[in-house]
Amino acid sequence: MRPEHWWFTIPLRLRSLFRRPQTDRELDEELCDHLEQATDAYAAKGMTREEARRQAQLDMGGIEQAKENCRDARGVNWLADFIQDLRHGLRLLRKSPGFAIIGVLTLALGIGANTAIFSVVYGVLLDPLPYPDSARLILLNETTPRVGVVSVSDPNFLDWRAQSTTFSQLAAVHAVSFNLSGISQPESISGEAVSPNFLSLLGVRPFLGRDFDASEEKSGAAPVVMLGYSLWQSHFGSDASAVGRTILFDGRSFTIIGVLPRNFRWVEKVQFLEPIGTWLATNPEAADRGARGDMVVLGRLAPATRLAAARSEMEGIAARLATQYPGDNDEFGVVLRPIREAFVGDMRTAILSLFGAVLCVLLIACANVANLLLVRGAGRTREIALRIAFGATRRRIVRQMLTESLVLAAVGGAFGIALAVVGSRAITRMLSPEMLMGATVTLNPTVLVFAVTLVLLAAFICGLAPAARSAKSDKHLQLKEGSAGTGTGASHNRLRGFFVIAELALSLVLLAGAGLMMKSLHHLLSVNPGFQPERLLTMEMDLRTAQYDKDPAIIHFWQNALDRVRAIPGVQSAAIGTNVPLTDSHGRGDITIEGMPLPKPGSYPHPDFHSISDGYVSTLGIPLLQGREFVETDNEKGAPVVIINDKLARQYFPNGDAVGKRLMLGQVDPAKPPQWRTIVGVLGDTKMYGLANPARLEVYLPFHQAASSDMEVLVRSRVEPSAMTAAIRSEIAAIDKDQPIFAIATMQELIRASVAGRRFTLILLGLFSGLALVLAAIGIYGVISYTVAQRTRDIGIRIALGASQAQVLRDVLGLGLRLTGLGLLVGLLGAFLATRVLSSLLFGVASTDMLTFIAVSGVLTVVALAACFIPARRAMRVDPMIALRYE
Amino acid sequence: MSKPSDLLQGTLDMLLLKILALEPLNGFAVSQRLKQVSGDVLQVSDGSLYPALHKLEQEGWIAAEWKPSESGRRAKYYSLTRLGQRQLEKEAENWGRLSSAISRVIKLKEA
Repeated sequence: MRPEHWWFTIPLRLRSLFRRPQTDRELDEELCDHLEQATDAYAAKGMTREEARRQAQLDMGGIEQAKENCRDARGVNWLADFIQDLRHGLRLLRKSPGFAIIGVLTLALGIGANTAIFSVVYGVLLDPLPYPDSARLILLNETTPRVGVVSVSDPNFLDWRAQSTTFSQLAAVHAVSFNLSGISQPESISGEAVSPNFLSLLGVRPFLGRDFDASEEKSGAAPVVMLGYSLWQSHFGSDASAVGRTILFDGRSFTIIGVLPRNFRWVEKVQFLEPIGTWLATNPEAADRGARGDMVVLGRLAPATRLAAARSEMEGIAARLATQYPGDNDEFGVVLRPIREAFVGDMRTAILSLFGAVLCVLLIACANVANLLLVRGAGRTREIALRIAFGATRRRIVRQMLTESLVLAAVGGAFGIALAVVGSRAITRMLSPEMLMGATVTLNPTVLVFAVTLVLLAAFICGLAPAARSAKSDKHLQLKEGSAGTGTGASHNRLRGFFVIAELALSLVLLAGAGLMMKSLHHLLSVNPGFQPERLLTMEMDLRTAQYDKDPAIIHFWQNALDRVRAIPGVQSAAIGTNVPLTDSHGRGDITIEGMPLPKPGSYPHPDFHSISDGYVSTLGIPLLQGREFVETDNEKGAPVVIINDKLARQYFPNGDAVGKRLMLGQVDPAKPPQWRTIVGVLGDTKMYGLANPARLEVYLPFHQAASSDMEVLVRSRVEPSAMTAAIRSEIAAIDKDQPIFAIATMQELIRASVAGRRFTLILLGLFSGLALVLAAIGIYGVISYTVAQRTRDIGIRIALGASQAQVLRDVLGLGLRLTGLGLLVGLLGAFLATRVLSSLLFGVASTDMLTFIAVSGVLTVVALAACFIPARRAMRVDPMIALRYE
Repeated sequence: MSKPSDLLQGTLDMLLLKILALEPLNGFAVSQRLKQVSGDVLQVSDGSLYPALHKLEQEGWIAAEWKPSESGRRAKYYSLTRLGQRQLEKEAENWGRLSSAISRVIKLKEA
């Protein structure tokens, strides 16, 4: 009954709301008509016209009052009142520009920072992925206890697909790269070789052209490719007729069958997709179950299946395969991750911590503004008392005060959103594409809704205390006071003090976080990377074309390149190697050490393999602990040799006698004669996987004996390394003009990039804690200032009675110290609890590091006391004569 | 004029609805009719009448129509709506229960 009843009255309510002048006129008419009729009635009883009219009017009471009551009864007043309050609020702001500027600026900073960070939170963590029902998409990898998460092998994938029932579809995704030739500047592009159902599994349709079909899964399929949207834009000018044309990958002709949609996202950079059948034709070794290249499996959970069920089924399948194929699968397990995790990666903790921090900043800002409003409210008690005496209800007063704070918050919010536009862009620039993984961070409608919500929240928080206070004021008391109102009252001051203590506590928590991050970053950057990173340039090349089919051609190219680069003036030393430290790709394999007891197939030592040239060790500056590094005679004609790293040596040669011993690559095979290699040297460990991660087992081979088409050139230069780039490019072009060079970076840049995530968190956390500190300082300044102004009379009396300036100073500072002390206490407690959130980001520092906490407490105390100093000096300088005359 | 008894707001609503149930009237006529049928016992002050009528209109229990009046000007006539009819029945029932309960208590004989 109620809902339909309400619905029926909507037209009426709208009319009352929007046709005010007309309804007002009608009301007037109605009441005048009543007066006429009442007058007539009295006149009919015998009164004169004038008497009758007067009596009728007396009966009505005040006509204006009656009209007001009618309007109230219609319930339209709230809108008119609201507009009136808004205008009043704006006028008040204009009248006190100082207060307005501080209030608006404070809220603008708080709301702006929050909006900017939320745009990142939304873009990276919340924005739905462009796949329908993406929560059911799972990424699967294999695992081995020796290394952790590794790629899946193709035969294993086929068995998973055949045996799994918890996944409705599974697809293989191999990371591949090609050299794009036939254009002015050859370049290296990366993409994926996928099972034909990859796109349909994701729920993505090609933007142009067709999807892969099932026949393109078998090895030997015709070379076709689907272009990524930006590649199609840049290389084909967004021409729709590109479909059907050919493109040269590694010198081979591929037919373009389609283009991916613009918003396509994947966990790696995808510039193209090729069907797995095409890829298998040139990678026949993938048919080996033990060959784990760079492949992840994508699956869609069957309807009504939970991830836990799929996980246990896949673990069962993996275990079965391990017993079925011990040589290749022993000890290999499986790990399942929802696809969202792969996109968010390590950024989640950092982003959420920053979001928490910036919310604290907003709370501090609101506390400051609330204090400002309280002070202003105290000065308006007389005005409010008058209004109450004239008949305004308390609810009306409260509404007015809240509306005023809403005006302040709205203006602050508008500026804040402008700040957020700039801030959000600046933050995105700090994040590398790998961290963002295709996320778009903009101020989209959702973010704007968040900003508006913040404005409302801020208005409420800031306005609540002053509104509640003003509504409580006793009208008799206020009207009696001679002045405009002093707003004293111990509870008033207590509330302001409480706000300040809260601000100081929150600032301390943020400062503690920033301090811990700073210490972490410092520790991380002081970690010895195991080599000398100064003036070291690296670049990568991948030999793909048909001319590099055989090893001799590959070796010839690299040796040629090495000789030419070494001849460049300014080059101190040069070398080549696979898998430069701190970069992401690493080849691995089993080794067998001569004389060791043969372990289970899944427990062979599993080091990283590197092919390096002579001079690699000296160019990188890796300490040579035993033996020698490779020399020119370690080539195809020389004896097979190998170098190992310290960790491998200590683990398998605890007596320190590694040099001279032998090992072979791969597991021992009784059918084949073992190909032993002699260990000629032991190198120090390097931080291959990042400064924060432990070293792993490494095995180094001379590139003449283990040719690799994908290598990095390392150049240590006498001068600024990037100056060498052009010279190196021309030398390489002289050998092969179609050979792209990519991933050009100095080692210092790579080290910086490897800590970019932590640095990002530190910069923003530092910024926010600085902001919080400034706001808290302003807050305590305001409170102490006000207290001094209030007690001017008392201070004057005390000075007149003989108190020294120093004593007055001490008293004021004492008040400040008390507030600061309480703030520190609460803050330290909060910091103890809160910094735990950061522990995954910290390095070499406990989340409750005492030294950091003491240091930031010191900083806070100094700043807070400095803020108290100015009002304290003002107190000192009070002239008792003037103070006593005041009032 | 004798002092009118205090009328509670809710009761006033019910009485106004009942008056308008009998025939559509304008505001002045409603207050006159109430005075008349209650024998001058129930009177509503002009200052309370119109807010009450407007509230009833806002709730959708009565509807207003501007009709030319006897004097030639137009006047606003209120009439009961279907929703108002239901509301009136509900309130009348409540009132009946309340008043009989009060009567029972008042009529208790001293022990």
